[in-house]
Amino acid sequence: MRRSLPLVLTYHETQLDALGDATRRAILERLLRQPSAVGELAEHFPVSRPAISQHLRVLKEARLVSSDAEGTRRVYRIDPRGFDELRRYFERFWTGALTSFKKKAEERARAERKRS
Amino acid sequence: MPNASVPEIAPVQVSIVVEAEPELAFEVFTAELDSWWPRSHHIGKSPMTRSVMEPGVGGRCYSEHEDGSSVQWGKVLAWDPPKSFVMAWQVSPKWQFEADPAQCSEVEVNFTPQGEGHTLVAIEHRHFERHGEGGDVMRSQVGNDAGGWGGLLKLYKAKVEVAG
Repeated sequence: MRRSLPLVLTYHETQLDALGDATRRAILERLLRQPSAVGELAEHFPVSRPAISQHLRVLKEARLVSSDAEGTRRVYRIDPRGFDELRRYFERFWTGALTSFKKKAEERARAERKRS
Repeated sequence: MPNASVPEIAPVQVSIVVEAEPELAFEVFTAELDSWWPRSHHIGKSPMTRSVMEPGVGGRCYSEHEDGSSVQWGKVLAWDPPKSFVMAWQVSPKWQFEADPAQCSEVEVNFTPQGEGHTLVAIEHRHFERHGEGGDVMRSQVGNDAGGWGGLLKLYKAKVEVAG
């Protein structure tokens, strides 16, 4: 469920798109267990290091991971903000739908009262 | 494989009171879905022309589109008019129809009389962790039993609880 309101929904679309890839989900699982540098991640996946970097970039844009410099290494870890935003997306989605529903249901109720 | 029936992420709950009897509220919500469902909310490839919910267990929720296509996005799992219904949310994280119920979240809608012609309409959208369960080739490739979004969220929850 998406489209329209692109400005409001951009982040959540980005998160769902980011989660829609099996390698990225596996990277997230790994990072949940242990914050890691790109090289450490690459050892565990059958994809190249640049590919891992690209996945991390997507995850970072979706705010599902963040990174910090630790000495000469850049360490990636889970960013809870993305997960919370995903939940809020559905909250907004249903709140919007319910508002539209209420308007219609009450219109119909008024019409029925008039008839009777 | 993680137990898919255990919620790993808090359900989303929203509700609203409408000035209408439960029977009418239920009817408008389901049979007349098309009259209020936001036109922007669909997973089709061309603009939506109609939104349909078929009544009864097994009923499909789908949208019809300008290009003549139709796309299913839900299936009724429980049907108890005018009190409640439950549907599978058959939308994958890739914004496509998901046929496997084990990989779908669920939406329950309850209609509770509030007296004087008012009804509380409450929606609970739960089991988000099921999206991404199962079927991933990647799981065997990386030798990871926990695979999928379910395992991910379980780990996330554990992490947050430790942090909190």
